[in-house]
Amino acid sequence: MKQNQKKAWLFLAPALICVTVFSIWPIIRAFIMSFQGGPLINMQFNGFANYVYIFKDPDFWHAILNTAIYAFLAVPIGLIISIALAWWVFSKIKHQAFFKTMFFMPYVTSTIAIGIVFRYILNGKYGMLDFCLRAMHLPAPDWLDDPSMSIISLIIFGVWASLAFNIVILMGALRNIDPNYYVLADMYGASGREKFWRITMPQLVPTLAFLLTVNLIGAFKIYTQVYALFNGVAGQANSAMTAVFYIYNKFQVVGTPGVAMAATVVLFLFILFVTYLQRKLMKKVNS
Amino acid sequence: MEHKKSKFRWGMIFIYLFIAIFAIITVFPFIYMILGGLMSYEETTTIPPTLIPSHWHFDNYAKVFAQAPFARYFFNTFITAATTTVVSLFTSILGAFAMVNLKFKGKGFIQLIFLSLLMVPGEAIIFTNYTTIMSMNLLNTYLGLVLPFLVSIFYMYYLQSYFTAISPTLYKAAMIDGASDWEYIWRILVPMSKGGLITVALLSFISGWNAFLWPLLVTNEDNMRLLNNGLAAFATDAGAQTQLQLAAATLTVVPVLIIYFIFRKQIIRGVVRNELKA
Repeated sequence: MKQNQKKAWLFLAPALICVTVFSIWPIIRAFIMSFQGGPLINMQFNGFANYVYIFKDPDFWHAILNTAIYAFLAVPIGLIISIALAWWVFSKIKHQAFFKTMFFMPYVTSTIAIGIVFRYILNGKYGMLDFCLRAMHLPAPDWLDDPSMSIISLIIFGVWASLAFNIVILMGALRNIDPNYYVLADMYGASGREKFWRITMPQLVPTLAFLLTVNLIGAFKIYTQVYALFNGVAGQANSAMTAVFYIYNKFQVVGTPGVAMAATVVLFLFILFVTYLQRKLMKKVNS
Repeated sequence: MEHKKSKFRWGMIFIYLFIAIFAIITVFPFIYMILGGLMSYEETTTIPPTLIPSHWHFDNYAKVFAQAPFARYFFNTFITAATTTVVSLFTSILGAFAMVNLKFKGKGFIQLIFLSLLMVPGEAIIFTNYTTIMSMNLLNTYLGLVLPFLVSIFYMYYLQSYFTAISPTLYKAAMIDGASDWEYIWRILVPMSKGGLITVALLSFISGWNAFLWPLLVTNEDNMRLLNNGLAAFATDAGAQTQLQLAAATLTVVPVLIIYFIFRKQIIRGVVRNELKA
């Protein structure tokens, strides 16, 4: 058979054209626009002004800080709960498929719709959560209208939403562990705890590294959850402003696309850096 | 000995309790959403909260449809999600076939580009894509809503793993029998990877159904809105009408949940296979 089958390009053409226009070009264009000022229809080169602007803008740092707090709290909490649930359902429950189906539900459902329900449950006046907390004589904060609670509410929402994917991936990984390890451990009289820490956890490391990255990247990009939970705004007094929310505001609401693109480039480079770290970590784990 | 046994029991109780609590936390919002959508306004805002409505207010749904063009939202969402799914499946099949079965110069380079693009977060390019769509005068059009999603490298990459599993000798045999590439794709490749294609179609349709940020950017006319944007706008406009918000949320979620419950095995298997390979 011929070594260079040119017809391949014909089959790849639709994909390549679309990818060039809607994936490669936008990246290049975002970089270009980040060095331009003015409205979208008439942008002019203005050097590093946008970068200077965002680094001086307290709102930008506030958004970055919020995003970081969210990412570094919601991701580990979500992962720890997911590991516990996945391992216990995997090792102690007979009807695994039933629980898996149930725990996975949030993954397929619309964030906006679930946000409406969460807003209802977290309502400070008639919400179910505060009602339960008061019934147990615990403090019942105003989850949505108290600015100091915004990020915590967002974390609760984020953790709830993240469990689905984590649990299903972890259960897939648990199933891939050679059952002979456990048979052998049983023969030596290992306890459940020993089996978990000596066999399960080490075997899960690559999966956990993968989930950590995916979750972190997802957390850095958080936008729809904020919109859903606070009904289109970034919480009371912008208390839940996140990086992508900042970008959206600068792009669409304020009408400074150059500033938005500078922030996008910063976020993009940061996400690439995390991905790079993960690759390196994975290589180390695998070798 | 006795002591150890009782400790063991407590451990088990804790584990079952932990699973039960999280199962409830996961499912409760869905149940509460459906129930709340059938309550009267008073019932949704009383203390203590109502769990089961005294009368089933199915008329809430009539009010939702009367207050906002949800039928139109459904139609728009179905059209865009279905178009994206069918076309991106088609382009992914062709692309994956070329990457798996054909040998050509530059293949390694193309694969490298595809793999790198997989790492690009959608949020980094969505705003510049908006600029592109705007300069094409496609704001508030169906074409504008679907255009950037007619190719998915992600699904193409996913299908490659299915196509690679089919022996290359089959392709050679088909060629010797005088079949064209086109015939090979539709007569052999597609029927043999039905499982993978169904999974891709389901995942693509669901993500199209739940799309939010992109339609928010490229549409601002009410009759071009998609379900989730319509829902978000409705939640703002309906103000304190909690029961109507919940009814509207139910409308948005239930179609996907039905698809999910029917195809749960394919969907979950698809997601796991996808991610564990990456």
